[in-house]
Amino acid sequence: MTESGLVVDARGVTKWFGETTALDGVDFAVTPGVVHGLLGPNGAGKTTLLSALFGLVLPDEGTLRLFGRTRAEAGPTWLDGVGGFVETPRFYPYLNGRRNLAVLAGLDGGGADTLIDEALERVGLAGTGRQKVRGYSLGMRQRLGLAAAMLRRPRLLILDEPTNGMDPAGIRDLRAALRRVARDGVTVILSSHDMAQVEEICDSVTVLHHGKVAYAGRLDVMRADAPDPVWRLRTSDDAAALAAARKQAGVKAAEHDEGGLVVHAVQDRMDEFVLHLGRDAIAVRGLELDVTPLEALFFQLTADAADPETASSVPASSASASSVPASSVPASSVPASPAPASPAPAAKESA
Amino acid sequence: MTLAADRWPGYAELGAPAGKGSGALVVWRLELAKLSGLLRVRAIIFLCLIVPFLAVAGLNVQSSTPGDTPFGQWVHSSGFAIPMVVLGFGGQWILPVLTAIVAGDIFSSEDHFGTWKTILTRSRSRGQLFAGKFLAAVTFALACMLLLTVTDLIAGLVAGTQPVVGLGGQLVPAGHATELVIVSWLAEIPPVLGFTALALMLSVISRSSVVGIGAPVLLALVFQVVTLISLPVWGQLALLSTPFMTWHGFWVQPPFYGPFEQGLVTCAVYFVVCGSVAWLVFRRRTIGAAA
Repeated sequence: MTESGLVVDARGVTKWFGETTALDGVDFAVTPGVVHGLLGPNGAGKTTLLSALFGLVLPDEGTLRLFGRTRAEAGPTWLDGVGGFVETPRFYPYLNGRRNLAVLAGLDGGGADTLIDEALERVGLAGTGRQKVRGYSLGMRQRLGLAAAMLRRPRLLILDEPTNGMDPAGIRDLRAALRRVARDGVTVILSSHDMAQVEEICDSVTVLHHGKVAYAGRLDVMRADAPDPVWRLRTSDDAAALAAARKQAGVKAAEHDEGGLVVHAVQDRMDEFVLHLGRDAIAVRGLELDVTPLEALFFQLTADAADPETASSVPASSASASSVPASSVPASSVPASPAPASPAPAAKESA
Repeated sequence: MTLAADRWPGYAELGAPAGKGSGALVVWRLELAKLSGLLRVRAIIFLCLIVPFLAVAGLNVQSSTPGDTPFGQWVHSSGFAIPMVVLGFGGQWILPVLTAIVAGDIFSSEDHFGTWKTILTRSRSRGQLFAGKFLAAVTFALACMLLLTVTDLIAGLVAGTQPVVGLGGQLVPAGHATELVIVSWLAEIPPVLGFTALALMLSVISRSSVVGIGAPVLLALVFQVVTLISLPVWGQLALLSTPFMTWHGFWVQPPFYGPFEQGLVTCAVYFVVCGSVAWLVFRRRTIGAAA
């Protein structure tokens, strides 16, 4: 491994597109063998950062090292051991899936072409490998993109929204596959909008907002920093339930625009509250987790000052009452750009 | 259809890809393989094979001759006149079309299909990709020229091997006429390569196949029109269409090669300048993101 022990080590990476600052002094570090989530709203700079990792975009400032080497130091071997794709994987539509992979394997040199059939089978495209790619669905192209990435036998796998267009079974299997390759020592960088996906499989995360790092660190630390989850509660008597909430410690509730209540509480407090409602003969007709703690933190980190609805960490459709507080975690309590994301072993196991 | 997650092996144990091949030549070979999958490329090859024979058939059924074209008045008396009529009639714009169809599309098609991100994330540098694609476009142009030379000559020989009257009025015997037909066709290679580089540059800069293919053809026609204007010598020499006509000097007695040599310089300048500009634009290009 490298001197710093980092697979990816980006320091102060800045990229301008005309007047637009796509990346603004981004520090981004990933340690080996982790699944690292890259989060951010549209236009946050995720794709630009991933493109820079692949050398598709040349940073205007800063340094970027993969496996300890800058692009200038590594030359054409810069991407050796790196596989993946940015945005939707694209292929030659007039060639079939197998020939597309053969072209890419040819570019890699070596004996990757012997893995093509195996790779197609692994991603569930064995039966369609001879079909022209112009007939592929978005999900099939994602799968072909994964096959193309795996042909490189990567030590670093970079995936940009890999579950776009995939069916639920494919998404489930992809999550399992990513955990498995990470256990095998492959480092995975996963860009996603799906917080649930990130929570399930990532060990560490970086949140980008307006081209800057809004948060970087281990997921377990992030969870500890996160505000209370937000619940959607429907009862037989919402007014009585709201009154009961005001007396319940650690529970904050408000009426929801579409009926029922929106409740901020940690799991234990919520359990107590529901039991209390039962004792008060208020029936619970529906209870669902509306915003997970990490989602709430994500909304907070990526909220714009001019957007008070998201700034409150409550989804736009949620609270209307003034009794619902802003998120309990102030932005200042979140590390702006902490050290490399290197999860504790326990956290990695649980992921 | 599901991802067979349980069968994804430990890739880290397999290590990095094996040998690297030889850079640009690997790309060149793959580009040729991709070109072979394109219908229009197959169509061009097919046309190169049959058009000379169609020209022979067409000229034979006509009672009149294309007298305003060099060698046109001799098409019924010597087979050697036919490939020269084809060359004189279509050389200045058919050949640019042939090469532009591939060279004007070989870079911009990657933009069209969005595949730059796919190939630039493999183990080849931009320089290798550029060189491989450039070589593939040149290879296609050369292949077309050689194919047309052979098929035109064969079509002419099929039509008749009588001596032909040269542009100086001298009678050229069959053996020498064969040599001159071949040399005349091969003399078109430099301007064709000039147009190849021009189309390729336009393809890189515009990222549009319409521009990459259409603009060189349009320029070829403009050059032809401009040729009709009384330009100073340096102006004529600067036109990439002028070298297409330098074979005329081979068919007089004594032959003169000055225009051909000047044309070589013009073609070389176009080739180097257009190729260099294309590379300079391509090497700093931003791919994807906000590109």
